[in-house]
Amino acid sequence: MKSLFHKVCTIGVLAGGMFVASSCIGALDRVPFIEVTSATVYADANNYKLILAKLYAGLAVSGQQGPAGRPDISGIDEGFSTYLRQYWKAQELPTDEAVIGWNDGSLPDYHDMDWTSSNEFITAMYNRIYYQIGLCNEYIRETTDEKLAERGFDAAVVENIKLYRAEARFLRALSYWHALDMFGNVPFVTELDAVGSFLPERTTRGELFAYIESELKAIEAELAAPRSNEYGRADKAAAWMLLAKLYLNAEVYTGQAKYTEAVTECKKVIDAGFTLDAEYRTLFLTDNDQSDEIIFPVTFDGNRTKTWGGMTFLVHAPVGGSMNPAEFGINGGWSGLRTTKNLVNKFPAVGGGTQLVSPNEGNTANYTKIYVPGAHQGWDPATAPTLTSAAGDRTFEGYLWFEAGTEFKFTDGPAWDVNYGDNGADGTLEPGGANLKVTDAGFYKLNVNLNDLLVTVEKTSWGLIGSATADQWNSDQDMTYDAAEQAWVITAPLTVGEIKFRSNDAWSLNYGDGGADGILERDGANIAIPNAGTYLIKLYLDKPDYTYSIEIPSFDTRAMFYTQGQNLEIADIFAFTDGYAITKYRNVSSTGVVGSDSEGNFPDTDFPMFRLGDVYLMYAEAVLRGGAGGSLADALGYVNQLRRRAYGDNSGDLTELTLDIVLDERSRELYWEAHRRTDLIRFGKFTSDSYLWPWKGGIAPGRGVEAFRSLFPIPASDLVANPNLQQNPGY
Amino acid sequence: MMFLSMLMLLSVAMHAQITVRGTVRSTEDGTEMQGVSVLVKGTTTGVFTDQNGAYTLRVADGNAVLVFKYYGYMTREVTVGDQTTVDVSLELDVQTTSEVVLIGYGTQKKKDLTGAVVAITSKDFIQGNLNTPEQLIAGKVAGVQITSNGGAPGAGSRIRIRGGASLNASNDPLIVIDGVPVDNNGISGAANPLSLINPNDIESFNILKDASATAIYGSRASNGVIIITTKKGRTGDKLAVNYNAVFSLAQRTGQIEVLSADEFREVVNERGNAAQKALLGNANTNWQDVIFRDAFSMDHNVSLTGATKTMPYRLSVGYLNQNGILKTSNMQRTSAALGLTPSFFDDHLRVDINLKGAYLNNFFADQGAIGSAVAFDPTQPVNVQNEFGGYFEWLDPSTGDPNQLAPRNPLGLLESRRDVSNVLRSIGNAQLDYRFHFLPDLRANLNVGYDISSGQGTRDIPANAAAAFARGGVDAEYDQSKINKTLDFYLNYARDIAAIDSRVDVMAGYSYQDFIRENTDIDLNLSTPADTFTNSYYKTQNTLVSFYGRLNYTFKGRYLLTFTLRQDGSSRFSPENRWGLFPSAAFAWRVVDEAFLRNSSVVSDLKVRLGYGVTGQQDVFSDYPYLPRYTPSENNAQYQFGNNFYQTLRPEGYDANIKWEQTETYNIGVDFGFAQNRITGSVDYYTRNTKDLLSVIPVPAGSNLTNQILTNVGNIENEGVEVTLNFVPVQREKLNFTFGANFTYNQNTITNLTKVADPTFPGILVGGISGGVGNTIQIHTVGFPTAAFFVYRQVYDETGMPVEGLYVDENGDGRITPDDRYRYKSPEPNYFVGASAQLIAGNFSAGFVLRGSIGNYMYNNINSNQGVYRNVTNASNFLANMTPSVLESGFSNNQFFSDYYIENASFLRLDNVTLGYNLGALLNGKLRAQVTAIGQNMLTITKYTGLDPEIAGGIDNNLYPRPRTLSLGINLTY
Repeated sequence: MKSLFHKVCTIGVLAGGMFVASSCIGALDRVPFIEVTSATVYADANNYKLILAKLYAGLAVSGQQGPAGRPDISGIDEGFSTYLRQYWKAQELPTDEAVIGWNDGSLPDYHDMDWTSSNEFITAMYNRIYYQIGLCNEYIRETTDEKLAERGFDAAVVENIKLYRAEARFLRALSYWHALDMFGNVPFVTELDAVGSFLPERTTRGELFAYIESELKAIEAELAAPRSNEYGRADKAAAWMLLAKLYLNAEVYTGQAKYTEAVTECKKVIDAGFTLDAEYRTLFLTDNDQSDEIIFPVTFDGNRTKTWGGMTFLVHAPVGGSMNPAEFGINGGWSGLRTTKNLVNKFPAVGGGTQLVSPNEGNTANYTKIYVPGAHQGWDPATAPTLTSAAGDRTFEGYLWFEAGTEFKFTDGPAWDVNYGDNGADGTLEPGGANLKVTDAGFYKLNVNLNDLLVTVEKTSWGLIGSATADQWNSDQDMTYDAAEQAWVITAPLTVGEIKFRSNDAWSLNYGDGGADGILERDGANIAIPNAGTYLIKLYLDKPDYTYSIEIPSFDTRAMFYTQGQNLEIADIFAFTDGYAITKYRNVSSTGVVGSDSEGNFPDTDFPMFRLGDVYLMYAEAVLRGGAGGSLADALGYVNQLRRRAYGDNSGDLTELTLDIVLDERSRELYWEAHRRTDLIRFGKFTSDSYLWPWKGGIAPGRGVEAFRSLFPIPASDLVANPNLQQNPGY
Repeated sequence: MMFLSMLMLLSVAMHAQITVRGTVRSTEDGTEMQGVSVLVKGTTTGVFTDQNGAYTLRVADGNAVLVFKYYGYMTREVTVGDQTTVDVSLELDVQTTSEVVLIGYGTQKKKDLTGAVVAITSKDFIQGNLNTPEQLIAGKVAGVQITSNGGAPGAGSRIRIRGGASLNASNDPLIVIDGVPVDNNGISGAANPLSLINPNDIESFNILKDASATAIYGSRASNGVIIITTKKGRTGDKLAVNYNAVFSLAQRTGQIEVLSADEFREVVNERGNAAQKALLGNANTNWQDVIFRDAFSMDHNVSLTGATKTMPYRLSVGYLNQNGILKTSNMQRTSAALGLTPSFFDDHLRVDINLKGAYLNNFFADQGAIGSAVAFDPTQPVNVQNEFGGYFEWLDPSTGDPNQLAPRNPLGLLESRRDVSNVLRSIGNAQLDYRFHFLPDLRANLNVGYDISSGQGTRDIPANAAAAFARGGVDAEYDQSKINKTLDFYLNYARDIAAIDSRVDVMAGYSYQDFIRENTDIDLNLSTPADTFTNSYYKTQNTLVSFYGRLNYTFKGRYLLTFTLRQDGSSRFSPENRWGLFPSAAFAWRVVDEAFLRNSSVVSDLKVRLGYGVTGQQDVFSDYPYLPRYTPSENNAQYQFGNNFYQTLRPEGYDANIKWEQTETYNIGVDFGFAQNRITGSVDYYTRNTKDLLSVIPVPAGSNLTNQILTNVGNIENEGVEVTLNFVPVQREKLNFTFGANFTYNQNTITNLTKVADPTFPGILVGGISGGVGNTIQIHTVGFPTAAFFVYRQVYDETGMPVEGLYVDENGDGRITPDDRYRYKSPEPNYFVGASAQLIAGNFSAGFVLRGSIGNYMYNNINSNQGVYRNVTNASNFLANMTPSVLESGFSNNQFFSDYYIENASFLRLDNVTLGYNLGALLNGKLRAQVTAIGQNMLTITKYTGLDPEIAGGIDNNLYPRPRTLSLGINLTY
């Protein structure tokens, strides 16, 4: 009995062991709980739109968790890794439009233009491009007609998915265009290459150009009609726009000009029904999703599309110094981005526009004074205007407007106790003397000397003279007296130069501004006009400290600079206060409502990747460069549409266009929108010494750099991973 | 076994005429020894000593010889003669103290070992204020480097056995506790998963170093294996109650040097502009004094050990309450352990049941306060009247809100944050070892075990605290549960074959392990309760199935051969690559047992070992790296189409061909003993070559759905020498002195990193630093050690001052570009040493442990980040303090990549000093008491200018300082 028990025990142990062992090998086929595998994900028709959303989100966010946590690409800080942030940096930091004050790795190399093939930011840009291409390839591969047919979806579903597929091809073309533009001869991978560790072949710029062109042509018919797709998704106009950009730069890419094609594509976009927004500033605010001008945005949301890159970077990084973060709808600035004086100087006037010089109140209230009661004010010394003695030496001066035949006297105090008249109008005052009288209406300069009891009454008429005026120092531009304003005013076009105020077309009585403090001195220093423009100038002589104001009644509202506490010159790139700041991108709406993120971190503002304003300028440039099918008159008209929006009237209208004007107009209209590097290369101004900006090439005055820097290097990491590639020349 | 047979002897009838009594003591400390077998030689008559070490025995006559035996002690024989009281003292047997060593799925006598294995038992453990098990053996074992992650309560350690074998996969050894390979990945809410194991319950560490020893653990053995056993009751034990308490006081050893308030004022007044000068305050605050404190801790443990007839047991409970020196940091642990070791069927079935549980309450301090304290303006007061909790904060003058770029008030960071967690972990197993009745040479062993943990925590910061003002406060919680299951079954057959003077010991088994983890993370939006910042859930699983076997063959008792083979299947790899085969072979020759040495009076032990083995690595952090997967996005990473937002689906990059990383190890060792083993030691030389490294490398752009992927590429070599020496200069009844030293040399070199050979490949940047974003200071390069520093060579002027921004143009292209960086030194030491000594003189005992490392370098990130005038001159609306390094370098802007900041961090540390007094027997011998005074981290000798030269990874960036701790320990046994 006992031995039987033992035998049963033994067999039980052995059999049990074997059973457990064999049954558990199958346990190695573990599948994820949360993720879905590619085997099942495409069986559900609802998933196609979610994967398409990832292709678009690849331009905006850094990964599957906002703002950070599950990154798409690695090897770089996740906040720095987003597509838009890298693209923006690559297009703006090596140009005259932007400097950044951060000492992160080799980030300063962008503006110094001495990057190498191991620059982590250039590498991240390259990796983002190919990450996006890889995702698009996977999607296009999984949505072929055959595969859709196999999965047995109904026709309407299939039609939808085909539209998605066309958009995926657009997104792939967009990224390949970025690769073509920035890296040149690059790896080439399509949906025909399965995922795995194969080595992609190298393509040339010419081949890639042809591929992108063919792709965009191929999907032109499949994409949604312009302005008919859901907001955020690409339509035909986006494809036309991309084609236009391809053609406009074709000479750079392939050596073969395609300006006529560029004109054609631009016209398609222009005719598609987009309209300029009424105000320039609203293009960069949280409600820019309502814009009729934006053709293709990259969308963001304060709660649902969060990233440390993208618009979060573009709203936070330019805020610093004495700027108030609250005005930008954010919790704080990152004290990074500013611009160089080159961009500032492209605008006729800068400073928020209106008031360049404000009237200075001076010390008026402290001066001793006498009163001028008379017919002009009802003979009441208590309310009479005054003459004052700035020196306190009982000699008084002042200006007053008198109508014809006005009589008046002087009182030493706001009462009649001690008063003076001029018996005999001989210029000598007598206590209790006769009334003084002017015959003509006019603006009179009155001087009273109570020490010697003398008086002079001189009629004056004021004008503007100087090198900034139309007739230089030769003759005055007459000003007119504005009784309501109690000031002499003039609106005049001025060039860069100097001005003074002069009476009666003679130098005997003139005012300038020593110390540029807003207070005028007789025979004082000339007043500088730093920028050309149309100015409204007012001269205030009604108060004893004579002052003036210079305003720009009509100005370019695109000049969105923050200057307070900022230096125009950049002595130190790492100091935020060197270089003007830019206030373009904000997390507030056109009506001032702050964005949805209660933390104040993540803006709702979308990025205007393609917009109509750009198309107008591309059209103008393509026509100027000889593209057929358009007209210079239309080109000028389009450019002036942008300028009228900027000025609010026709005061900024151009009468002729040249290529240089178009390039400058592009920087005025499109600065900080990630176009500048490509534009400068197209105009031959990116690397050469024909156009310099502060710290170009790493030295303060700027210098030309090697021509090969028009292309970024293929990252060293990919040259190692893929021996099919070749480094771009020069690196 | 010995005790069982002794028990049976007790029942034998006795017919003796003389009654002999006596007491057995230990020569080590003079204490009475319970459970010593006293046997009349040549008979079956015998008894065990009782709890007072006393025995009574009848013998036939005075010619009788008493044999006193106790495990781990030298056996003594005493002729009775005319004595009626025979008191003896037993001497420790140095050679057999750790005679039986755990080797994985079995045990082996130390003298029969063929691999590099070290056993350390509780009597050699480091004492003091220890809250995590690995610290028990720091510095004690050659080739094992244990570096604590700072001084926070419960902080873990980096354990490296013979350096790391991997680049990106785990370099942590496998830890097996009572037969359960435990999950050594983190547990949410615990600073360190091992802190949930009470060190007081641990009986021994067995460290398997070379592959011939570890290969039986196959795919998880590349970084060595640590087998931990817990204390257990023994058959025949009477109930003993032990109470152990340690009271500790921890203090800072110094502070990170910063400018004093007056020095700071001077710099600001000299270099600042008017606005910056206006920011200076009138206070004189040492911010480090503000955030640190002297911390008191206590640790109480009570254990009950004993045995019923067939059921030895041990039950223990412990309570630890440890305060950290950084204000608010605290850890409390309540633990319990139960061990039952009954046997049945005439000892044919032996059962070993262990249950351990611990409950941890943590209060985590915001360690960012340490960096803030370094950077905070010392001229500002701690407290002011304001709406931000009354802490002085730098405000943005335009908004009146806390300045987003300025450091936060260090005390405010600590006191306004409530970051607490509760963690429960239990490890348990039941092992059934059955010796077949009809074939006693055959054993079947079944072990089932579990390791479960559950961690919950919450993090709260009020909305008005500056630390979280911008996001409107913090209200976050997390919850993690882990369920890991183990099943092992093996058969073991061992037999002496006298005919050929051989012994054969064969084992074959099967193992199944399964790991499931679930995580929930919620971060509530306090200002908009309808929204959450994060609300995520994740669950993942992986499974290992293994078959293994071992053959030990012994010829003539002195030629030993071991072969092991393990086949592992991991769910992490595709069916094609799933299975890995890990063989090993080892040979040992007990030279001392050869005729020419057997009677040597000089050489008492000599053994030569040769070993070879292949081990693997599959711990790649992701459970599904070979599967094409699509992962959904969180709610905060959606994309807008029209007026709707869509959660996206992302295809993940994958390597369908990913497989095991393999490490080949060769080991040659010699174990020796001289002068009756008064001098013992061993020397080992090893090489380890890891191939198919699991490395994260750039994929060819466009060829995968990611830019970097974990794949098998690259090779690393490790080469090293380990020397262990133990001396017993004095070994007498009342005076005993032992001294041990160990020495390790290890050098690792990367020999390949790319799929396509390319000598121009600069390497893989690693070692992120503070300052800027994404800056790294180290690089993996072929031909260099892992993580070598990658820096510019600083140029100095004739006065020895570094010239800011000027570096040596290494490649001579006339410009200073990133290509001019060079590889300089390594954070890993080439040499490390440990030494310990123990002196027992009467009732006094004293000991110390020294640890040191030579050739390790450190990047002083505190100086490179904070030692610049820019902290003052570039500040708008706030000022930041500097380290005095700026006075020496004169740097205006950060020169992060200058080798100026790489410092020699070799050190020698007096880690532990103990002084004990044995009060002996109290209360009529019923109570034995011992008091011990312990000092930890007493002295460090180093050239390194920072606070502490010992930082894993070699980047000094505001480590939680390791305190100096003084403790008083009381041990009572009843």
